[in-house]
Amino acid sequence: MPRLQQAGAARPRTATVLAALLAFAALLFGATGAAAAPADVRQAAEAPQPAAAASSVSGKTYVIGTDTTFAPFEFRDAGGELTGIDMDIIRQIAKNQGFSVEIKSLGFNAALQALSSNQVDGVIAGMSITEPRKQIYDFSDPYFESGVQMAVAKSNTDVKGYEDLKGKTVTAKTGSEGETFAKSIAGKYGFTVKSLDQSATMYELVKSGNAVAVFDDYPVLAYGISQNNGLKAVSEKEKGGSYGFAVNKGKNPELLKAFNTGLADLKSSGEYQKILDKYLKDPSQAAQSSFWDLLANSFPALMKGLGNTVLVTAISFALAMLIGLLMGFLKISTSVLLRGIATTFVNIFRGTPLLVWAFFFYFGVPQLTGQPIDIWVAGVLTLSLNAGAYITEIVRGSIQSVDPGQLEASRSLGLGYAKSMQKVVVPQAFKIMTPSLINQLIIMLKDSSLLLAIGFAELLYQGQQIYAGNFRITETLLIVAVLYFVVIMLLTKLANVADKRFNK
Amino acid sequence: MSTATTAPSKISVRELKKSFGANEVLKGINAEVAEGEVVCVIGPSGSGKSTFLRCLNKLEDITAGHVTVDGFDVTDPKVDINEVRRHIGMVFQHFNLFPHMSVIENIMLAPVELKKQGKAEARANALKLLERVGLAEKADARPASLSGGQKQRVAIARALAMNPDIMLFDEATSALDPEMVGEVLQVIKDLAREGMTMVLVTHEMGFAREVADRVLFMADGVICEQGVPEELFGNPQQQRTQEFLSKVL
Repeated sequence: MPRLQQAGAARPRTATVLAALLAFAALLFGATGAAAAPADVRQAAEAPQPAAAASSVSGKTYVIGTDTTFAPFEFRDAGGELTGIDMDIIRQIAKNQGFSVEIKSLGFNAALQALSSNQVDGVIAGMSITEPRKQIYDFSDPYFESGVQMAVAKSNTDVKGYEDLKGKTVTAKTGSEGETFAKSIAGKYGFTVKSLDQSATMYELVKSGNAVAVFDDYPVLAYGISQNNGLKAVSEKEKGGSYGFAVNKGKNPELLKAFNTGLADLKSSGEYQKILDKYLKDPSQAAQSSFWDLLANSFPALMKGLGNTVLVTAISFALAMLIGLLMGFLKISTSVLLRGIATTFVNIFRGTPLLVWAFFFYFGVPQLTGQPIDIWVAGVLTLSLNAGAYITEIVRGSIQSVDPGQLEASRSLGLGYAKSMQKVVVPQAFKIMTPSLINQLIIMLKDSSLLLAIGFAELLYQGQQIYAGNFRITETLLIVAVLYFVVIMLLTKLANVADKRFNK
Repeated sequence: MSTATTAPSKISVRELKKSFGANEVLKGINAEVAEGEVVCVIGPSGSGKSTFLRCLNKLEDITAGHVTVDGFDVTDPKVDINEVRRHIGMVFQHFNLFPHMSVIENIMLAPVELKKQGKAEARANALKLLERVGLAEKADARPASLSGGQKQRVAIARALAMNPDIMLFDEATSALDPEMVGEVLQVIKDLAREGMTMVLVTHEMGFAREVADRVLFMADGVICEQGVPEELFGNPQQQRTQEFLSKVL
């Protein structure tokens, strides 16, 4: 899994756009599991710096950094509160040792960077204790033993162990320990490994029968099973990494000590096991909630996503119209230079994928300028420049398809070029372009879902967040699809009414 | 300006040349149109009649030579061509009415936009013009609902809205069904009777004979022969003219 490969070091500042683009590709394949909510990143800078010399933690407040979503260690519950094994452990230890914690949900990499720059006092984020990390951070005693485990569909009675996998296909997460382990025994047991990059989609693959088993980290798998993801574990977990709480090298030794003491207390009192059971115990008797419960529970989050989808589309489309009108007029200009500008613009943004620009604006531009960029700005730029290129061509085509005799008639009356365009040509062009613009608006509304790749909380992103927690992919996606469909139908009706009204 | 007529010259064309790329369409035109004169331009297709007409209000850029209209040198880049065009009404073969406006809005557009008249005044004036072409009851109709003859009469009314001194007609009846040609020609005849200076490119020889003070016969980018209609139609001097007339009459 990604977090084993990342040591928290900042990526090198790239000098060229090309290098930046390559970096996005790496991010695309490396960070899909834990898309960061960027609003949290800024909070790190505000974190206070407590004195490090004190020997006692009592009465102090420590700022603890963590990931955004890494169920079951940290994730948001239905009410939006940060919860999970890490959260329960750090809060209970704090209570036990008499200090307070302020949790910053930063994202895994950002949390480690904040720790390196002393913006947070400690990090607990389902982080494996590794040799490279021990060079930069001081780790607590391990608080969790991870390891790879195999699971199959609940209904599967044929596969009970690795030896039953002969000739079958299994799945594992790209770049994870599970994948490494599965591939290491694939030859011996005669099965094929098909890698995917999200836990939830791997489980769907197994449930649908396209893979017979999944190899995943034991806690992630156990949590999924506890959430009725339709699987059951059939092997003992293989020996794997240990998770630890980290402070910066040489800093906050009293906090580390208090963590170790508190952890030992929780273990001896049985509190520790209770926490694990809360998240990992197989609730074989627990009934799955109904579709209507799922709908009711996920509705507020989906509505928020839908709101963001509609808002980002509305802002981007307004901007795209301005860009398209301006560039469209440049395209029919008599000046070679102005036409060249418009043509270059169209070629660049029509000739490159939307996703590349989303990564460029959100990840590349900050590396080139050193300034972070708001995710809304990145999202709106991406959508509006892409659609702006298409609208440029729509505007150009529509203006050119107005009979040239119209402009001549207007000019022969003594009206200037600008006035003639405004009063005679553009109104007719607008009527011609309206159906294409409605089309473009609908395409943009759907394309806005691509912004989930940079962690923009639009409708599909919200859907993914929900099924990452409850593993009910099909039903969640169905709800998401219906919401898109309804909004697009309403939008189409509205646009057609407007078209009839204004373009009679 | 030298002219045979006694009235002052409204349009003066000297050595007008026009090329489209390597193709020279007008090869040196000299012509005068006196105030109140009605001049018809006839000739075979491709002879440059329409291009000549469109050079008079600079719908075509002029390659060489001089065109003076109403005292303005339209070939002078310092002259505001929009100002010149307000003195010249033009009627097109395909009407070119604005389909997104009603009939009366078509006529009111220029006076209102060019701040010549307020909306109410422009409307009253437009209604008068519509009455003059016999279409007052169509004021609020859309151009699409009119017949070809009606459209062209509206187009004439639109061209008259700025009170021009000169009217240009570019094959105004060529796109009409035969039974509608008469109503349009009648409007043009009325204008001639009122003393409007007009240049008409036309294929209606009978009409040219009846309404024109002078007829220009163009062929291959030059004015081949000109004269009063009786002479030009009755006793053409040039062989080119004789050949053309023998085909169309």
